[in-house]
Amino acid sequence: MEVKFNKQDSTLTVAISGNIDTVTAPELDTKLQENLSGIKDLILDFAAVDYISSAGLRVILMANQQLEDADGTMTIKNANDDVRDVFEMTGFDSLLNLD
Amino acid sequence: MIKVKNLKKIYNGNAVLKDVNAVIEKGEVISIIGPSGTGKSTFLRCLNLLEQPDGGEIWIDGKNILDAKTDITAIRRKMGMVFQSFNLFGHLTVLENIAMAPVSLLKKSKAEAEAKAMELLKLVGLAGKANALPQELSGGQQQRIAIARALAMEPEIILFDEPTSALDPTMVNEVLSVMRNLAKTGITMLIVTHEMRFARDVSTRIFYMDEGVVYESGPAKELFENPARPKTKAFLRRIDMLNFNLSKADFDLYHFQSQVVEFAEKQMLDGKQIKALYSVLEELLINVVFPEINKIDLEIGISEETKTTELCLKWQGKTANPLDSGSPSGELARMIIRKRSKTIEFTTPDNNNSQLAITL
Repeated sequence: MEVKFNKQDSTLTVAISGNIDTVTAPELDTKLQENLSGIKDLILDFAAVDYISSAGLRVILMANQQLEDADGTMTIKNANDDVRDVFEMTGFDSLLNLD
Repeated sequence: MIKVKNLKKIYNGNAVLKDVNAVIEKGEVISIIGPSGTGKSTFLRCLNLLEQPDGGEIWIDGKNILDAKTDITAIRRKMGMVFQSFNLFGHLTVLENIAMAPVSLLKKSKAEAEAKAMELLKLVGLAGKANALPQELSGGQQQRIAIARALAMEPEIILFDEPTSALDPTMVNEVLSVMRNLAKTGITMLIVTHEMRFARDVSTRIFYMDEGVVYESGPAKELFENPARPKTKAFLRRIDMLNFNLSKADFDLYHFQSQVVEFAEKQMLDGKQIKALYSVLEELLINVVFPEINKIDLEIGISEETKTTELCLKWQGKTANPLDSGSPSGELARMIIRKRSKTIEFTTPDNNNSQLAITL
């Protein structure tokens, strides 16, 4: 998994590529936590995410919660059909902003 | 077009074909399936007399080809054959391989034979390889050339003897695709194959061979969905298995996944099915099973015919279904497993053993 950050003022775009699974989710969590301070708009670009497991969902859920607590928003962009299926089967499609 | 009566073939006292009877009409596409060693290839090779039968009759267009008076060469020209190994001439170009027999046997001019060869190369999608040597081509490409070469003799019947068995799995589909297109042209085809999905899709009828006879035959859909006889049923239910003894202490997710993916690819699961399989396995092992159970036996079975995947986990000790309850952090995992599964069955064969069977 690779993670690239692009910060402009209080907007942070995070482009993730590869699988977000049991092994890589903790790394994503750590990197997000290091960069979320002061962020009001978090955009997760999933264009290059092939697969997400429940471990990845938990990281995203926590990030979403942090943004909500700070009166910010989190948006997930460009998720492929397989990833969208996982969001749907877990009800995340109604919890998250999917673009 | 082809009528086979009481065909027998004996090798070293062993009757490989005991009493084969069949009628094949012009334009039919017949797939011959069955376990190894049941005489499928022998049957095909008897039809063009590559094997001399030990009894019975083979009638082609009203002529008994086992009759000494029949012009065997003329009969053989009606039949092309594609073998498991491609048997191309390594020192000749692709074009020469295809055009050679029509020049020498059908007495066509070189120009005419090469023009026809180019047409056939287009048909098998290899027009750009006319001047290549066989060894410069992949196995799949060589087999497509072998099909073009058989067609160059303008046969009325084409026999395929396990044409994809010697190929790397990644090349099977390109050959099957050429055969699918060929099946639509109306040429009579007899295909010995282990590719069940292909057989089901393209065949007008299926012959299931076992016990030295055509044990059961019928339209493809009917035979695959409602086989009537016990051995046919058992054969079509056959699944390939992969077994693991897994321990929480030394479980390596990526190593495990790579073994599962390699197995699933060999069974020709598509990308989406493979992703669903390793999704369920990751959730099941990491978030549901290993938090509670230290060692399990896992069996993964994939049906060759339906591509249904069966997971069977067995362990000793804890005898409650781990999918019914568990830590809140495992709830997302349990949700994904339930949504991706067709059936989930938990049983306790005795007080100390548990079994969880999941079908995807």
